[in-house]
Amino acid sequence: MRIEDVVCPFCGCLCDDLVVSVEGTKVLSVENGCTLATEKFTGDHRLAHPIRRTGGAWEKTTYDDAIRETAEILLDAERPLLYGWSGTFVEAQTLGVHMAELLGAVIDNTSTVCHGPSIMAIQEVGHPGCTLGQVKNRADVIVYWGANPIEAHPRHMSRYTTFTDGFFVKSAFRERKVIVVDIRETDSSEIADEFVKVTPGGDYAVLTALRMIVRGKGDLVPATVSGVTREQLFRVAEICLSARFGAIFFGLGLTMSRGKSKNIRNAIELTEELNRHTKFTISPMRGHWNVYGSNEVFTWITGYPYAVDFSRGIAFYNPGETTSVDLLRRKECDACLVVASDPGAHFPRACAEHLASIPTVQIDPHVNATTHLSRIQIPVAVTGIDAEGTAYRMDGVPIRTRKLFSTGYPDDVAVLGRVYSLVKEAKG
Amino acid sequence: MNFLMTTGRTIRQGSYVERKNTAPYRDEASCIRMNPVDMFDLLVEEGDAVRVTGAGGSVVMRVRPDPMLPRGLVFVCLGPYANALASPWTHGTGMPDFKTVPVSIEPTTEQPLPVSALMRECGGMPYED
Ligand code: SF4
Repeated sequence: MRIEDVVCPFCGCLCDDLVVSVEGTKVLSVENGCTLATEKFTGDHRLAHPIRRTGGAWEKTTYDDAIRETAEILLDAERPLLYGWSGTFVEAQTLGVHMAELLGAVIDNTSTVCHGPSIMAIQEVGHPGCTLGQVKNRADVIVYWGANPIEAHPRHMSRYTTFTDGFFVKSAFRERKVIVVDIRETDSSEIADEFVKVTPGGDYAVLTALRMIVRGKGDLVPATVSGVTREQLFRVAEICLSARFGAIFFGLGLTMSRGKSKNIRNAIELTEELNRHTKFTISPMRGHWNVYGSNEVFTWITGYPYAVDFSRGIAFYNPGETTSVDLLRRKECDACLVVASDPGAHFPRACAEHLASIPTVQIDPHVNATTHLSRIQIPVAVTGIDAEGTAYRMDGVPIRTRKLFSTGYPDDVAVLGRVYSLVKEAKG
Repeated sequence: MNFLMTTGRTIRQGSYVERKNTAPYRDEASCIRMNPVDMFDLLVEEGDAVRVTGAGGSVVMRVRPDPMLPRGLVFVCLGPYANALASPWTHGTGMPDFKTVPVSIEPTTEQPLPVSALMRECGGMPYED
């Protein structure tokens, strides 16, 4: 069977134009998707059944027992952490937040080690963003700053920017200028009209120099700024100022390097300066599939986008204190529920060590690094393949994913719903 | 020798992200890319093992030449090998310094561990599927 308009469940682009051929519960082929999409759909290596660790060995267990034991672990804990959420759909995320409130737990999502600093900056100075459709149809200057879309979001350029024509940009290849700013050459920088190579940790200074030029204070800019020549800075500023519509996309090169949220704040303020002359927008390249949705769900329920601590009986948010890496580094949490992510692979080792020392339960379709650190793992259906639900694209557009076929796996809502009921029953 | 390590996504790492117990994932996630002149200075060739040590710990990886990297900068894709080196300190931001990790690198005769063994070092129990 050929299914059209399938939504890819891998990265934040949420491409919704895939054509997938299936036979029973097997995916035969994927059209339009990138390599990552093909691997995601055709991959056939799920955990077959729930597992639990007793003493020094793993054993098979049942969904009933695994769910009951998960609820007991969470109810026994004084400072549980509910972490992950970006690989699942918003209905499951909603249940997670309500359960965190009941438990007095901390709930955090993967933006904590991704675009958390971007959110902090947006809270300070706002977000002059737009949808990807606007970029595709209008933008004649594209800036990728600290991002390598060819490797991380393989279809971003072909669906929305460099390689696709738009309503007002009839010939993208000729009319769109692409600027890439990075500390190293990448496949993305190779196709840029202008590649700006910054010394590591120097982004803040380069952003400031560009702001000075746009503000008319360019005569104060020194001969080089963090490895970038004055001439190139003026050239880049000129390209931006002569744009009819410019779009900046930034990646983890800004959020994970020196300055973090302050880099993003400076980039947003550069966008604001440019808007005094022409139209410019700025947006984060959200990575893990529905991570944007987790920020939306957390915010509409608690008022805060990630790192929400319910231990005081009210929602409390303080990045650096209530963020997962800090909680684990301080060895503060005494139980952890991981849903749809892999902190074992993506947190510093000290955090992985603490996860291994406390009862950690993972709800995830696949064996990953966190599996080895856990006490229990409950496999679930993969959203967008054998489960359906709503997810948010990186530009904040919600998209309903499709279910291609049914397998015997329950989805995240079915499993979390049962854990939630047990917790609610115990809490009264 | 001292280097600055940066991290990022790669298509290969993304392709194997749901098969972390496999050799192809280990090979990609434990691959450290560096400028060929730096490899010359370190007296290592493509595929040689090196021990990389950062503030967060130490791990064995394999070298791959990458002339696009400037000297002194090494690249490892996001994953458990790179994160074994990162310090858990976030300077009050919640975010570790994943993109700028000072590391020292020396040739070794040891081999990169599979992900499950790396997690055992963290106190976990390998699950083999
Ligand atoms: S770019 Fe992202 S969403 Fe689009 S097909 Fe590739 S992995 Fe899927």
